[in-house]
Amino acid sequence: MSAPGASGARQFWRRLRTQRAALVAAVVVALLVLVALAAPLLTAIEGQDPTTYHPSLVDSARGGVPIGSFGGVSAEHWLGVEPQTGRDLFARLVYGARVSLGVALAATVVQVVIGVVVGVAAALGNQWVDQLLSRITDVIVAMPLMIMSLALLAIVPSSFPRPVLVALVIGLIAWGNIAKIVRAQTLTLKELDYVSAARLSGWGSWRVARRELLPGIAAPVITYAALLVPTNITVEAALSFLGVGVKPPTPSWGQMLTAADVWYQAAPQYLLLPAGALFVTVLALTVLGDGVRTALDPRAASRLRVGTGRKREAKA
Amino acid sequence: MRQSSVIARRVAAASVSLVVAAGAAACGPEDNDAKSAGGDSTPHKGGTLTVLNSQPQQDFDPARLYTSGGGNVPSLVFRTLTTRNRENGEAGAKVVSDLATDTGRPNKDATVWTYTLKEGLKYEDGTAITSADIKYGIERSFAPELSGGAPYLRDWLVGAADYQGPYKDKRDTKGLSAIETPDARTIVFHLNKPEGEFPYLATQTQFAPVPKAKDTGTKYEEHPVSSGPYKVVSNDNDGERLVLERNTHWSASTDAERKAYPDRIDVRSGLDSSVINQRLSASQGADAAAVTTDTNLGPAELAKVTGDKDLAARVGTGHFGYTNYIAFNPTIKPFNNVKVRQAISYAVDRSSVVNAAGGSALAEPATTFLPNQKSFGYEPYDLFPAGEAGNAAKAKELLKEAGYANGLTVTLTHSNSKDFETSPEIATAVQDALKKAGITVKLQGLEENDYKDKIHSVRTEPGFFLAHWGADWPSGGPFLAPIFDGRQIVKDGANFNTGLLNDKSVNAEIDAINKLTDLDAAAKRWGALDKKIGEQALTVPLFHPVYKRLYGEAVKNVVISDWTGVLDISQVAVK
Repeated sequence: MSAPGASGARQFWRRLRTQRAALVAAVVVALLVLVALAAPLLTAIEGQDPTTYHPSLVDSARGGVPIGSFGGVSAEHWLGVEPQTGRDLFARLVYGARVSLGVALAATVVQVVIGVVVGVAAALGNQWVDQLLSRITDVIVAMPLMIMSLALLAIVPSSFPRPVLVALVIGLIAWGNIAKIVRAQTLTLKELDYVSAARLSGWGSWRVARRELLPGIAAPVITYAALLVPTNITVEAALSFLGVGVKPPTPSWGQMLTAADVWYQAAPQYLLLPAGALFVTVLALTVLGDGVRTALDPRAASRLRVGTGRKREAKA
Repeated sequence: MRQSSVIARRVAAASVSLVVAAGAAACGPEDNDAKSAGGDSTPHKGGTLTVLNSQPQQDFDPARLYTSGGGNVPSLVFRTLTTRNRENGEAGAKVVSDLATDTGRPNKDATVWTYTLKEGLKYEDGTAITSADIKYGIERSFAPELSGGAPYLRDWLVGAADYQGPYKDKRDTKGLSAIETPDARTIVFHLNKPEGEFPYLATQTQFAPVPKAKDTGTKYEEHPVSSGPYKVVSNDNDGERLVLERNTHWSASTDAERKAYPDRIDVRSGLDSSVINQRLSASQGADAAAVTTDTNLGPAELAKVTGDKDLAARVGTGHFGYTNYIAFNPTIKPFNNVKVRQAISYAVDRSSVVNAAGGSALAEPATTFLPNQKSFGYEPYDLFPAGEAGNAAKAKELLKEAGYANGLTVTLTHSNSKDFETSPEIATAVQDALKKAGITVKLQGLEENDYKDKIHSVRTEPGFFLAHWGADWPSGGPFLAPIFDGRQIVKDGANFNTGLLNDKSVNAEIDAINKLTDLDAAAKRWGALDKKIGEQALTVPLFHPVYKRLYGEAVKNVVISDWTGVLDISQVAVK
């Protein structure tokens, strides 16, 4: 296993580029991130915001179904309005992207940080430390994510900023697998000559970990993290769907799905919009994560029919 | 009165439970056959009526049931001294005689009430119903093991505060001395204080006769002895499936209220609300002769039903005396300032609140605390006219006078239930309206139980929260007194006077009205009192719910009173 230095990164990009699906997924993900970041700008162009009610745009006598075709689509409301409230669906969808992506990315960062620290510490520490940390990791892996999140989110006072809390809860519960991968990888690396050499020359554990081990575990960690992001998005959506995620009036896709499920016959676009957004996002992130894994996996590299830069130069 | 209202609200909340999950496929038709009625709309005897409900008919014992006007299914089995008038709309909010010959004869100050039973009243086994049986039925409702009923009897009857029921005190064969039975057809009640509304209380199932010889204590609910047109054939899983059949000893000549057309009533409960509405709209097989007494159409279902003529013709609309409102705790800043409370009253946008509650078909905007029905003494008033969409300018002006020229940030407490009453949808609608008046609202959503505990404890009550209230009978008394009578503020227990109002003139007026036995005159004064209390802006009335309920194709003679707001099973025919 080679440490990906500057040339490693270049090689990674080259391998990623050759996978068409991954490229398309990367573009979609980039667009989604852009939309999420530019949500205030986009809604300003539309002239709407995600929380203002428009009682005149829904038919009160018919349960509040949007007036007009396709759920009230118009020049003012690009994707129509929400039943009962008349809130702008485009604005709610793009602001919902911020919650979905933001929470998922933040949760992934928490998971990676905890996972790497625990994994490396377990691998480098003495037998007791390893035993203790590994058992804790086992417990964390065995814990049912949804049930634990539900319990944690229910007891924290509602004054705590909700999106941060959701990210923290998902991050703090689902780091077990990444810690296990890191520990196993570190144990392998620890026995390699260059690491032994560093230790024999009197380097401390911290310096060895930082300088010699971290670059070595980067590949599996990045791969796993890339696949964690879509999982975290679905978890956030599920928690919001169950009513313990972000709180109204902050829009989130999961929450929109909950409110929309009874409307599938009377106002189908209300359900299809957040469902479609979730589907596209999770699919794109999963395909991209898969591409990253392939690009970082030395065994997969040969299947990609991509040589090293040197070989190609030689051919030319 | 206090706990009573909790349960009354629970009963009411259950009855307005909206559909929260759809997508369940309609279940297939069930075993019984029901023939379509065709064009003939005259009701005929016979057939099986199916009742599809979400809440099971638990504890089917007259001592334990908590009902308004005797309940719907319970009233088929248990006759009471008085009952609700089985008529459509306003007329149905009246109290009429049932087992008794009239609605009661009070003494001068309404502390003694006398009733005479009709002649020829019989139980399902043919034995005669006596006034001693009614006394015994009331006595057993005091037994701790048969709890569940309203606490009015304990509060009102002389010397009843510590009474433990007939099982504990076997030597004292006289029982509760506040109830006298001079002969087999006469019963006299002695009360602590004047209660002009006693006839309303006598509609509750605790006033149903129970033959002492057949009393099996806690097991009585498995087969209570019927005094009404139907008797219990089977009761599975504590009221999940209840089958009733005709009681041949019941005579229509002694009962002017119950029509009892079907031969058999099959009550199936524990169903999901979306399943109930799917089955009623499909109206297949036995479901053609089906009704529901506790499941409303939700907003999305309503959107579908109103577009379909056949379905729209099968929707029963009812009104139940009920108010959803914003409550203030005037001991907490800035709600101690009446101008802040008024500003919020002006700023509220009732059209978006009504939409959040399901639209104009399921909710009517409210500007009075009393429900908009005559029996409550409804007197229309709008002290802080917000118009349809809220009066932000007037609200800003008042805030400026109150010293909040630069706006104000407040926290609105609500529940996280899915009832469309105190739930997040209503809270966000209020939040959006107040934003226009420069009031930033932070939302504090609590789990249902936590929310109830917090708002009903003087120590933890928040300053600004969503609340709702329904009465045990359609009158101003049980609607206003628990909320605004200063002597009903409970320091350590469930408190419903959330505005902590203790106004001597209000208390005195409540006492004065309770003395009245002319219920129409009393109603007028309740209405006037409501307006007077409204001036203090301790609440912001938001909306009164409307019930929209489907019934099957073969169902005839639909009667929906303003007392219950629900189709009356005793009037329905399926042939």
